[in-house]
Amino acid sequence: MRRLVDARGSFCPGPLTELIKTYRKAEPGDEIELLATDPAAKSDVKAWAQKSGNEVVSIEERGDHVAIIVRVVKK
Amino acid sequence: MRPVRVVIIGGGTGGTILSNRLVKLLKDETRGGKVEIHLFTDSDSHYFQPANIDIAFRGAEPSRFVKSERELLEKEVILHTSGVELVKPDDRTVFYNGSALDYDYLVLSTGSRAQPSAVPGLAEASHNFHTGQEDSRRTWEALRRFERGRILVLVNIPHKCPPSPVEAVLLVEELMRKRGIRDKVEITFATPYPRAYPTHSIAEVVEPIFEERGIGLVTLFNTDYVDLQKKKVYSLEGEELSYDLLITVPPHRGAGVIMASGIGDEEGWIPTDKETLRVKRLDGVYALGDATNIPISKSGVVAHLQAEVAALNVASEIRGTGTICRYNGRINCPLELGDRRAIFVAGTYEKPPARQDPSLIKYLMKRAFSTLYWPMLRGRLDLLFELYLGKPYTTKG
Repeated sequence: MRRLVDARGSFCPGPLTELIKTYRKAEPGDEIELLATDPAAKSDVKAWAQKSGNEVVSIEERGDHVAIIVRVVKK
Repeated sequence: MRPVRVVIIGGGTGGTILSNRLVKLLKDETRGGKVEIHLFTDSDSHYFQPANIDIAFRGAEPSRFVKSERELLEKEVILHTSGVELVKPDDRTVFYNGSALDYDYLVLSTGSRAQPSAVPGLAEASHNFHTGQEDSRRTWEALRRFERGRILVLVNIPHKCPPSPVEAVLLVEELMRKRGIRDKVEITFATPYPRAYPTHSIAEVVEPIFEERGIGLVTLFNTDYVDLQKKKVYSLEGEELSYDLLITVPPHRGAGVIMASGIGDEEGWIPTDKETLRVKRLDGVYALGDATNIPISKSGVVAHLQAEVAALNVASEIRGTGTICRYNGRINCPLELGDRRAIFVAGTYEKPPARQDPSLIKYLMKRAFSTLYWPMLRGRLDLLFELYLGKPYTTKG
């Protein structure tokens, strides 16, 4: 299942809040597509994925925002 | 033919400001009996919620921070001190206390509620200051009695007031210093974020203060459960932390009426357009403040500024002017750092919060707000706030 999280315009508390909210509801195998304008989003998501044992599938720059796809591996 | 009826659910900061603002915007219509404004709220007590931190960490007297909702409202607002149990948007009707009321426009300012029970073991094991004055008072009592050991401040998301966890841990540290027992107390701050504050520029201010004051920082810690017997907290990431006194910022959820009415998502957040504040897929319905799913801080200032925007848009719809106001994402949250210093976390949808230097003047501004809050709800300080914060919206005809 692909879950879309639109966190564009969020700097405080920021995209990671939205990602983790969705992660808690997701199942292993799901993918979460996070849209963000916060420049810290890429490094934050990578750090979180590494520590939590989940996988960053892709990071794509789309003009004014970035799209990050995370695959839920561990729950 | 009955008057045009606006129903507002929730008498917190947003709902109160919105009610008063609508009366002013629609002065002729409300006085002439053409428009009715109904506000539903659980009780007549209106709490100044930011003071919970003063109650929990300074032992402030709770009764100083509560007033009668009726006295905060323009006389034209019809106040129902009753919660709404159910909304049926298809029938444009709300149900409360055995009665029903139909509406033309509905504004949902139902807020958020801290829910420690959402994490196994958390409610039983922890103290917090987000579930009201009584629990804030209990937190103060626990801190006052604490003599030695480990204090863990544990952050769960989502929660209202992004600065509140950092404020809590810094005020705990200051309190232990003032009590002369700082050397007997280990203080740790555990957060789901990769740094002490979610916004990078603000974390750059906070983290050196943590280091200087000897506060341990554990990042990327999402609470899985708490074991009350072992006095340990376990994270989804596989870590564990021990405590003697656990102070938490609980995860928050949307209001019961939103869940019961099937308007929100799984956690009760209302799908809302982040600019117009219209609830998606529902005609004549707006939402604001903590209640929405807009990815922005859940805070009083957001509820305040969104109430202005929603009021303008509802008034515009009633008058048929066609003007649409679009909220620009303005935030401006004070963050107290202990030792009489504070900063403000300020930005918009387009502009991230910039780094600031802590100052005494910002601390004094924050402290003054507990007095300014009450006239602000009546709209008596609108000019001051507009000068300070700027217009929180753009307009399209």
